[in-house]
Amino acid sequence: MSKITIPLGPQHPALKEPENFMLVLEGEQISGATVNLGYNHRGMEKAAESRTYIQNLYLIERVCGICSHSHTTTYITNVEELAKAEVPQRALAIRTLFAELERVHSHLLWLGVAGYEMGFETLFMYTWRDREQVLDCLEMLSGNRVHYSINTLGGVRRDITAELKAEVLKRIKFLEERTQYYIKLATQEPTVLARTSNVGKLPYDVAIERGAVGPTARASGVARDVRKDEPYLIYGQLDFKLITHDTNDVFGRLVVRALELVESYKMINQILNHLPEGPIAIKIPMKIAAGEAVNHYEAPRGEDIHYLKSNNTDKPERLKVRAPTLANLQSVAYMMEGGWLADVPLVIAAIDPCMSCTDRAAVWNPKKGKTEVYSWEDMRKLGIEHYKRRGVDFGRL
Amino acid sequence: MDSIIPLAYILIFPGFLFLAVYGLYLQWVDRKLCAVMQNRMGPPWVQPYADFIKLLAKEVIVPDASTNKTMFRVLPFFAMAAVITALVSIPVWGPAAMYSFQGDLVVAIYLLTIPTVTFFLAGWSSASPYSTVGSMRVLTQLFAYEVPLMLALIGPAILAGSWNMSEISAFFSANPRFIPAQLLGFLAALIALQGKLERMPFDIPHAKNEIVGGQFTEYSGRLYGFFLLAVDMELVVGAALVNAVFLGGTLGLSGWAGTGMFLAKTLFITFLLALLKVLMARIRIEQMVNFCWKYLAPVAMAQVAFDIFLKYKLG
Amino acid sequence: MSEFQTEEKVKAGLEAKFPGAVTNALVQRKNRVWLDAAAEKLPEILAWMKAGGFNHLATVTGFDEGENLGAYYHMTDTKMIVTLKVKTPRANPVIPSVLAVFPGAVSYEKELEDMLGIKIQGLPAGRRYPLAEDFPVGQYPLRKDWKTEDYLAQQASLKTESK
Repeated sequence: MSKITIPLGPQHPALKEPENFMLVLEGEQISGATVNLGYNHRGMEKAAESRTYIQNLYLIERVCGICSHSHTTTYITNVEELAKAEVPQRALAIRTLFAELERVHSHLLWLGVAGYEMGFETLFMYTWRDREQVLDCLEMLSGNRVHYSINTLGGVRRDITAELKAEVLKRIKFLEERTQYYIKLATQEPTVLARTSNVGKLPYDVAIERGAVGPTARASGVARDVRKDEPYLIYGQLDFKLITHDTNDVFGRLVVRALELVESYKMINQILNHLPEGPIAIKIPMKIAAGEAVNHYEAPRGEDIHYLKSNNTDKPERLKVRAPTLANLQSVAYMMEGGWLADVPLVIAAIDPCMSCTDRAAVWNPKKGKTEVYSWEDMRKLGIEHYKRRGVDFGRL
Repeated sequence: MDSIIPLAYILIFPGFLFLAVYGLYLQWVDRKLCAVMQNRMGPPWVQPYADFIKLLAKEVIVPDASTNKTMFRVLPFFAMAAVITALVSIPVWGPAAMYSFQGDLVVAIYLLTIPTVTFFLAGWSSASPYSTVGSMRVLTQLFAYEVPLMLALIGPAILAGSWNMSEISAFFSANPRFIPAQLLGFLAALIALQGKLERMPFDIPHAKNEIVGGQFTEYSGRLYGFFLLAVDMELVVGAALVNAVFLGGTLGLSGWAGTGMFLAKTLFITFLLALLKVLMARIRIEQMVNFCWKYLAPVAMAQVAFDIFLKYKLG
Repeated sequence: MSEFQTEEKVKAGLEAKFPGAVTNALVQRKNRVWLDAAAEKLPEILAWMKAGGFNHLATVTGFDEGENLGAYYHMTDTKMIVTLKVKTPRANPVIPSVLAVFPGAVSYEKELEDMLGIKIQGLPAGRRYPLAEDFPVGQYPLRKDWKTEDYLAQQASLKTESK
C-alpha cells in the first residue's frame, strides 16, 4: 500500500499549541512519526536576565497558562534558597493549597480534552463545567482564575479567612462527588474503554529511557513523584498516596489522573483544616548574594525543574526552565508508531501538552491600512473607553 | 394544471423547499437537544438558516491540485438531488407516497447510497491528504453499515409481503401490534442510519481532531453549504424511511393530521439519534467495522428470521 | 558532614571511579551534589551513574562564563540531584553527545547548539530547535555578548509601527 505523509500541526484542531508532527501513514496505521518543536519560543530565559527578581516572578508565571503556580513556586524556591530566607509555615501551606487546587483544575481540564480528542464531547462539556468550581475557588482566594500570582518573594500575597475556607471546602465536596462519577464513567463506559485501552503503549523501560515524567511515567509503573521523593513546601506533613498504574496505555494515564484528583481533594482538606498560624510573608533583600540553586517540583504534568544562578545584583545571572512537556514529548513519537491515525490526537493529549500564551495583541486596521501593535497601556485605555460608552466608568477606579 | 402539481410536489412540498427548511430545522433540534443534554445553552433556532445563507455568500475556492474540477463543483448538487429523489417514494403526508411502485424500498435505499459515494468522490478529487484519508474512511464505513441497514429494512418488508413502502406502512397501520415486534430491527436501523449520516460515534470520515474536515476539507462557500444541506436533508429522508418501514408511517392519517404525525415521528427519531450522539465516544474505523459485522448484522439477521417465523405463523 | 551520608557516598564513589575527571565536588545541602566533570569523559560518567540508579537526566542548562561556555547536566535518581558542570573553551566549544546513554536528551542538546553555539559531537543533524528556521546562523542568543536590542536593530521586518 502506498504511503501518505500527513502533517499534524502547527495549526490543527487537535492541538492547542503550535507544534508539528509529521506522520507517515500506511492506510490507517502509522509507520513513522517525527516531532518538530520551537514554534512558540519566546526567549524567556534571555529576558529573565535583564529583569529583577520580582519582575521575573510575573514573567515566569506566564511560561504557561495552566501551571502558572508551578513555575513561580519552583522559581521562588530557588530565589529563597539563594537569599537564605526562612519562609513562614503559613505561607508554605497556602502555596501547597494552590498547588493542589491547580492540579485539580489541570486534571479536570485534561479529562475534558481527552474526552474531546476521543470524540466524546459530553465528557468534555461536563468536566469543563465542573472545573468552573475549582476556578471559582482560585478566584476567591487570589482574585484571578488562571494567573493567580499568589506567590511573592518571601511568602504569599493574600491570607485565607475562615469564610473563604468554608466556601472552598463546600466546592471541593461537590467536586469529590463528581470525580467519583467520572472514575466510574472512565472505567466502565465501553466506547471510552475501546478508545483508551492498549493505545499509546509506553513500557516501563522506554519511559525511563526517554525520561518521561509525571502521570505519563506513573501510568507506566514508574513510581516517580517529587512530592514523595523530595518533599518540598509542606508535602512532608501531608498524608497522600503515590498513584501508579501498570497498563502503560492511555487508559492508565486516565486512571492515574482521576485517582490523583481524589488524593488532591484529600490534601486540600488536610491543609485547610490544619492551617498553621503566623505571618504570610517576610521581607527579602533586592540584591541576592552569588550562588546557584536547582530545584524541582511536581507540576500537574510532571517534574518541573529550574536552575537559578545569582551574581550579587538584583537580576539573575542565568535562569533555566524545563517544563514537563519537553521531557514527555520524547516519548510521544515512540507511542505513536505502529498505532492508528485515529489515536494520534489522544496519544498527544495523553501527555497533556502545555499551552503557552503571548502578552500583546496585533490589530489590523483596514482604514489606515497597517498593522497596529497595542501596548498594555493602549489596551487598558481601549477597555476603559469601551465600557464608558456602555455607562461603566472604570477610569475612576 | 396536470403538470404543475407534480412539479409542486418535487419543488415545494414534500420536495426541495420543505426538505431544506425542515432539514435545517432538524439540524437545530439535534443541536439544541445535544446542547441541553450536555449542559449547554445551544444555538437559537435561526442559527442553521443563518449559517447556510452565510455560506452561500462566501467565496468558493477550488483547489488547484483538484483532480477533476468539474466533478468537484457538481458533486454537492448530485448528493442533494439523490436525497430529494429518494423522498418521492416515501409516504409523508398520508398513507400513500407521491409515486409508489413495487420495489420502491430498494430504489430508496440505493438513492440514499449515492450521497455517500459523492462524499467519497468529493474527498478523492480534492487531492489533499486529509480528504484522501477521509474518503477512504467514507468507503470503508459504507461497507460496514450498508449491510445491517439493508438487512434491518428487509424484515418489515417480508412481514408485510411487499417491497412498496406505502404498502408496508399501510400494513403496520392496520396491524399496529406488529410494531413492537420490530424493536431489534428498528434499533439496528437507527444505529446504521447514524453511521450513514456520519454522526457521532460514527463521524470517523470527518473526525476533526484527526483529519481536520475529512472529505470536506477543501470545500468552501456555496459548495460546502450545499453539501451540509444535503446531509441535513438526508437526516429527514432517513428518518422518514425508518418511520415508513418500522413505525407505520402516518398510521392511516392524512392531510394536516398526517403531516403533523410525520413531523412528530421524525422529531422523535431525531431525538433518538441525538441521544446516540451524546452518549458515546467516537470509535476507531476498525472498531466500527468490527461492531457492524459482528453485532449489528447478526441482530438485523435475527430480526429477519423472527419476521419470517411470524409470517409463517400468520399463514 | 556526617549528616549527609548518602550524598557523601555518591561524591566519594564518583571521585574514586573517575580520578582526575571529577573535580571540585561539593555537597551543597541535603540532596544536592555539585561537581565539575571533564568534557571528554562525560558520556562515560553519565553511563556509570545511570547504571548506579541515576536514571533520569532532568535537564541540561547551558551557560556562558566569559572565557568558557559549558553546560550543567542535572542527573537525578528522583531524590538527589547531582549536577555535573562541563566547561569548554569559548574559542572552540565542543561537548560530546550523551544520546547513547539518554536518548531523551536530544532536545536539550539541540538547545545547547542553537542557543549557545556549543558543538555537540555525535548529535544527528536535523531541524533547528528551539529557534526558527530563518533565525540568522552564527548568532547565539544565550551568550552574554548577544543583545536583544542589536538583533532588533538588524531585523527591519520586525519593526512594527506603534500606535
